[in-house]
Amino acid sequence: MAEVKVTINGAQTSGREGVTILELAQENGIKIPTLCYLTELSPTGACRICIVEVEGSRTLVGSCHTPITPGMIIQTHSPKVLATRKVIIELLFASHCGFCMLCNKANVCNLRELAADLDVGLSPFQTRKRFYPIEDNPYIQIDRTQCILCRKCVRACREIAENGILGIAYRSFDTKIVIDNDQPLAQDTCRDCDICISVCPTGCLSKPKKLSAAKTGKPLIIC
Amino acid sequence: MTKIKTQTISPQNENILIRLKRVESQFGYIPEESITEVAQSLDLPVSEIYGVATFYSFLATKPLGRNVIWVCQNLPCHLKHAEITIDNLERTLGIKPGETTSDNKFSLELTNCIGACDYAPAMLINRDLHGNLTPNKISQILKLYK
Ligand code: FES
Ligand code: FES
Repeated sequence: MAEVKVTINGAQTSGREGVTILELAQENGIKIPTLCYLTELSPTGACRICIVEVEGSRTLVGSCHTPITPGMIIQTHSPKVLATRKVIIELLFASHCGFCMLCNKANVCNLRELAADLDVGLSPFQTRKRFYPIEDNPYIQIDRTQCILCRKCVRACREIAENGILGIAYRSFDTKIVIDNDQPLAQDTCRDCDICISVCPTGCLSKPKKLSAAKTGKPLIIC
Repeated sequence: MTKIKTQTISPQNENILIRLKRVESQFGYIPEESITEVAQSLDLPVSEIYGVATFYSFLATKPLGRNVIWVCQNLPCHLKHAEITIDNLERTLGIKPGETTSDNKFSLELTNCIGACDYAPAMLINRDLHGNLTPNKISQILKLYK
């Protein structure tokens, strides 16, 4: 297979034809942040956090879905790229409700981690927040207020679990993750495959934690 | 060789809109059962078809009234105070966007740009375009529909 020569952050390198900028960067030990990308899933380019600067390109390009072309000159961490990534996080935070401090998944949340890396504080963009009731069954808890619409769960449900239960519906501000044709989460909607939970980059999908419901026997009284 | 996997980008997807339009012209809207049927016939998940059906303003997923009003809510119309139009229609008809009057005469829907930005704020009633809307004009226009 043909080798494609490119320059990435000033260093000459080459990769197989068809690999994406992101993959090549990873092979070269350069870390580009991602939120909606996962090697196992088809790329969608939904979150834009993986953008890089390519010389001659009018706009920044999404590295997770752009294949390398001969002679490409790529900057993965230029000031322009970093500033744009910061704004992207701020925009994601604009309608994202809840406080990281109160979130169960804060420690494993990619969004919070990226916000810290990029020095994002309170979002300067203030808009309506997305409020949705939390839904749960014994296998999964869905808190759509935390969702950033990266569509990882949708793709994982289709492409890995081969179920296709999860989808994305409606438009613009109303866009949300739905179950089939927007059914409420029922007892038997989801089994415990957990695949979507493991790919969710925020606190939206998690294992339900029922503290008091699991209580059996006499209450423990300590005097 | 590109590594783009094709599970979600298959030639069948091209048929979704055509089929949904056909269902809509048959029933006046897209019933839930038809979504399931289309999904089965194309071998795609129900959630995918539902996502497409709900994305487009001009595909109805619930029954509509005799006349359908689509008010444009995109930026140029917004800058020309589309919300006054929406507010005015809401009050005159006594319904919110997405609802139908009890006599089944009007449905009020919001849409994205209908290509009439030069007439902003604009709306469509059935297939008729109405632009440069003012509260006065709206009450005149509504009288034209039975
Ligand atoms: S990771 Fe590339 S667009 Fe989300
Ligand atoms: S924005 Fe309203 S018609 Fe274009």
